Amino acid sequence: MSDNDTDQRAERLAELREKFGRHPVEPKKPFHQGASLRDRQPRFCALESGHRACQGCGEALAARLVMECAGPDVMVANATGCLEVFTTPWPQSAWQVPWVHSLFENSAAVASGMEAAMKARGKNTKILAFGGDGGTYDIGFQALSGMLERYHNILYVCYDNEAYMNTGIQRSSSTPHAASTTTSPAGPERMGKRHLKKDLLGIIAAHHIPYSASASVAYPADLQRKVRYAMGINGPTFLVVHSPCPLGWKHDSHLTIEVARRAVECGLFPIVEMERGELANVMPIREVRPVKDYLALQGRFGHLMKPDDPRAVEELTHLQALADYNITYFNLRGEGEDPADTVGISQVARDRAAGEA
Amino acid sequence: MVVINRGAHAEPGTSLEFKTGNWRSSECPVHVHAKAPCHAACPAGEDQQAWFAWLQEGHVEEAWRELVSKNPLPSVTGRVCPHPCETACNRTSIDSALAIHNVERWLGDEAVAKGWAYPVEAPAEDAPCVAIVGAGPGGLSAAYHCLRNGLRAEIFEALPEAGGLLRSAIPPTRLPRPALDAELNRLLALPGIKLNLRCKLGRDVGLDELKHSHAAVILAPGCGLSKEWNIDGAVPTDLHEGLHLLREFMDHGEFPEARRVAVHGGGNTAIDLCRLMKRHGVEQVTLITASALPGPDTDPEDLINVVPRELEEALEEGIEIIEHATVKRLIMKGSRMTGVEIVALKKLLGTDGRMHRVQFEGTERVVSVDMVIPCIGERVDPEGMHNLMNRWHYLDARDRWSRTPQENVHAIGDARGDRGTVAEAIGDGRLAVEAVAARLQGRADPVEDTRPEMPASGLNPVYFGRISRTAVPKLPVAERTFEAEIEGDIGRMAALREATRCLSCGNCLACDNCWVMCPDNAVIKTAELASDGSHYVFDLDFCKGCGICAKECPTGFIQMAEDTWHEGD
Amino acid sequence: MREALEGSQAIARAVALCEPDVVAAYPITPQTHIVENLSKLVADGELHTEFVSVESEFSAASVVLGAAASGARAYTASSSQGVLLMAEVLFNIAGMRIPLVMTVANRAVSAPLNIWNDHADSMAVRDSGWIQLHCENNQEAVDTTIQAFRISQETDLPVMVCMDGFVLTHTMEVIDIPTIAQVRKWLPPFEFKRALDPSDPKSLGALVGPDFFPEVRHSHHAAVTKALPVIEKTDRSWARAFKRGCGGLLTTEGPKDAKIGIIAMGSTVGTLRSGLAKTEDAGVRLIKLRAFRPLPEEALREATRGLDHLIVIDRAISPGLGGILGTEIKAVLYGTPDAPRIHNHAIGLGGRDIPETIVGDLLSAIEDPDATPFSVFDADLTMLPPEDR
Repeated sequence: MSDNDTDQRAERLAELREKFGRHPVEPKKPFHQGASLRDRQPRFCALESGHRACQGCGEALAARLVMECAGPDVMVANATGCLEVFTTPWPQSAWQVPWVHSLFENSAAVASGMEAAMKARGKNTKILAFGGDGGTYDIGFQALSGMLERYHNILYVCYDNEAYMNTGIQRSSSTPHAASTTTSPAGPERMGKRHLKKDLLGIIAAHHIPYSASASVAYPADLQRKVRYAMGINGPTFLVVHSPCPLGWKHDSHLTIEVARRAVECGLFPIVEMERGELANVMPIREVRPVKDYLALQGRFGHLMKPDDPRAVEELTHLQALADYNITYFNLRGEGEDPADTVGISQVARDRAAGEA
Repeated sequence: MVVINRGAHAEPGTSLEFKTGNWRSSECPVHVHAKAPCHAACPAGEDQQAWFAWLQEGHVEEAWRELVSKNPLPSVTGRVCPHPCETACNRTSIDSALAIHNVERWLGDEAVAKGWAYPVEAPAEDAPCVAIVGAGPGGLSAAYHCLRNGLRAEIFEALPEAGGLLRSAIPPTRLPRPALDAELNRLLALPGIKLNLRCKLGRDVGLDELKHSHAAVILAPGCGLSKEWNIDGAVPTDLHEGLHLLREFMDHGEFPEARRVAVHGGGNTAIDLCRLMKRHGVEQVTLITASALPGPDTDPEDLINVVPRELEEALEEGIEIIEHATVKRLIMKGSRMTGVEIVALKKLLGTDGRMHRVQFEGTERVVSVDMVIPCIGERVDPEGMHNLMNRWHYLDARDRWSRTPQENVHAIGDARGDRGTVAEAIGDGRLAVEAVAARLQGRADPVEDTRPEMPASGLNPVYFGRISRTAVPKLPVAERTFEAEIEGDIGRMAALREATRCLSCGNCLACDNCWVMCPDNAVIKTAELASDGSHYVFDLDFCKGCGICAKECPTGFIQMAEDTWHEGD
Repeated sequence: MREALEGSQAIARAVALCEPDVVAAYPITPQTHIVENLSKLVADGELHTEFVSVESEFSAASVVLGAAASGARAYTASSSQGVLLMAEVLFNIAGMRIPLVMTVANRAVSAPLNIWNDHADSMAVRDSGWIQLHCENNQEAVDTTIQAFRISQETDLPVMVCMDGFVLTHTMEVIDIPTIAQVRKWLPPFEFKRALDPSDPKSLGALVGPDFFPEVRHSHHAAVTKALPVIEKTDRSWARAFKRGCGGLLTTEGPKDAKIGIIAMGSTVGTLRSGLAKTEDAGVRLIKLRAFRPLPEEALREATRGLDHLIVIDRAISPGLGGILGTEIKAVLYGTPDAPRIHNHAIGLGGRDIPETIVGDLLSAIEDPDATPFSVFDADLTMLPPEDR
């Protein structure tokens, strides 16, 4: 074999490694110590680039936002699911904090052990537990309840994308009514999921933990405020973050925020805060949108967009009734301004900075 | 060689070795600094958004300096401009347009009051000198931009005072003379501008002479003569033509005796005249116009060409306006006029594919008046420039830099025939000088701003709260006189508040949305301003092209474009 | 100090001597008194540990996983159904190579529900990748528990200390409990190099694809195999320090020239020894197997050398195959020249009492021409309808 052939082969091998993510393990690179712009970002980045989430992944965004304000002195227990899979394809990891993945249903319990270890070792490192809606509403629910009851100093964050996305878009107890998934498909005999979305926050509330809240990736500042608040509490806290999944919800990747925002604006995903299980604050909706505005962006509700089909009309009306119920129940209709609902606007900041003061 | 460690644990942040940028299928985000519609619509070429940005930060003088980098007469235009910027303002899609016009006026007045220096330097003694004919807004703008381009300017004005139609045709109720004088004097006092008064082209100085003695000639004579008017060849014996009446009134404060007057026309001069006559005591003033009043279904092409607020005020003051009509016949009793017969007409598409005004037989009616005043527009006094007149009796300017067939001669402003506002004249002055400067530097054309305009649909209005437009103080009808300025000053607080309403269309306002909402952490914040004027750069090594940043950019500054990136770029 | 203690109580004391940072346990049916005793020690201030009273065995295993991964010495105990409920986590702990210790009070697995002793539970998680050590009596259980912590952190593997439910856990014995000073001297402080730590933030439990999975599995297998010398060495060290050992990987007793051997694990060994002592001229070599995982193949071949017959006692079965230990011993001896004939019997399933006299029955069964290679030895098949025999 000539030298030339050898070179070509080595080149080809390097190319294949690049393509399929097989990298030789090299000595640790000094990330975040270098002189590059990326290294000097004015925020704590615990979830690095290079993770394998789909385009426009709401969960990847939500997790990064959470980690940003959780800070470096934390340790994460992550349930099996998209977040775990796309962040840690060995030999790489997108995490910049200590992170452990054990199983689908035990992140709350693993976190409990981590927290117990911190207590035993006299450390203050805060423990976070992450799970998807499957790992939280369903299979990991018992472990979560136990964690809350035992009053561990843990922030549990549920990234709610309303189905088992990692396994192939199967329905969970968090899937909204009438949504089509691979195990609740719409067809001549069915209009998608027959059951309702589980009122998880209601159940969490019954644990009377110090703080629980819902948030959405569409309102990052609100989400981060809640994380910071929860981080300051010594005890169990719970956050459910509405995180659209372009693949599972069947919407364009650039619409992730828009879809999440509409979910809030129509009342189907109320943004609320609870202290000791009592409703403490809501994000008011100043202009309520019809649920159709939210549903129409998503293929999983495509079967409802048939005005000639009475069943579709009935389910659409049903979803509208559920949204209306939320709005009434949580008293979401807001007038004027409230600190909680100026989030998107405060991002832009300009028309508030000098204006009304 | 891969070495598998115990328990297959992974080291932190190693995913950075995996460049997800090659996942992008077709498009990647780019920063597009599109023109704000106010900027695109401004005939003077102002970038309103740029000076509002300074105001937002409380830098008033910088705002003014940015403004006068294009328009040296904000105190004037802030009073007389029909402000197409406000009509174009994207904020209309949220609540209502910014009060750009009023803030401009405040800035101009503030500069006068504080004596801020214009951002120009005295040209070199031996700098080329440009001859400018006419000291109206166009000529003054040209002179000012000569300084900005390192040239000297020599103005030749036929009248004893500078100002052109600002002084002769615009009533002090719209443009108080102290305000006009203050700004003009500051401008004319700049070193490098020489003003020759009572120096009329064709009489005191010749075009060829100027071409010889100066590096270039910019003609800005305005339209000093009224267009000829007759009805089937008939004219009243005591015909008073609108612009002439207005000038007379400004000089002497008198109108000819009349009880009921019909004004025929549809421009700002017609409206000014109507209002002055009404205020002067004429019982009934009727404006007969072929154009349409603003309404929900009005075709913009058909809309009366008047500053909207002037029209509003005229109606408040009791001017009757008959739209879609023209004068068909004069009714005379001997030499005395008793009325005009008017007929309905409308612009319709003809068989030749062009718009024609069609009169509708059977719609004739008579309006009793004892005077009819034509106010159908003005024309150029051709003296000294006969060679440059085109067949429509205007100066033959042929491009956006107002070049004429004669080398080094530009013709700008109203005299071009296709202009009609102070702002357009000011813009022409700047563009002509830029062309002159380019030629002197050996370049063909000045650099043009070919950026696309940002439509309201390109913004994400979610991020802007509703804030009502500042109400502008106005004199009540009963208190309006011939001298008192009708519209008031909005003041500093309101101006700064108004600035906060600016949406910054097409411009990065450093809101962090892209930085915050990128699921891939592929937007990097920069400590200093990035080369494209934003505060962020895209790390295309990791951008998967989802498009969230573009969708959530409030101002449309981020757009998805064809991906031309290659790994390793 | 020698004390009369119930097995569970003794284990609790032994665990307390190791000063675990975190203890998690759940009282599934059936449970032992181990965690109750530990709770009591905590309540009495004799043990300073984070005691996490979880809501299931599944969480118990998960909690100790999280705790050990975070650098804490962690301990749990379970039994029967609990072990099975933990199964998923047990595989996970071992796969991640996390060192911790669990006591399994061996008991039968339902159905039918039965809370008495056999080895079905730990056998069910035989392939999880844990080290499994069996104890003959409560003294050994105490000593092995303490040894387990040392073995575990030396090998980065979890260790399961198997002791027979009821027979040991609920039985009072006189036990020599070491002093805390002795244990502190012998047992090094807990150390886990890959522990979660914000100053060196590793990611544990990554996704490993087909590209690397076989290598990871092999490495686990190799690690468990290489634990053999560690187990031996640790017991020797213990014996030097405390003047008693637990038998390393396995022990043999009886005449050197014996032609018949019996091999068993756990308390059955004691019963058999006692039975053999009462059998005249038995001439039987008794092999006590302590390390079931890793299985000491070489030592087994050595221990069975010269035997014509080897009776393998199983306390659990793999239906459709037979005895589990028996099958494995056959595999170990396969191809060995002059290997003994294997007689594999399951006895004492579900807590069936094992009388000393069973020794005689086992020995006579060697010559029984009707004997099958495997039997549930003490089952009275006449109680079954013919078609179910």
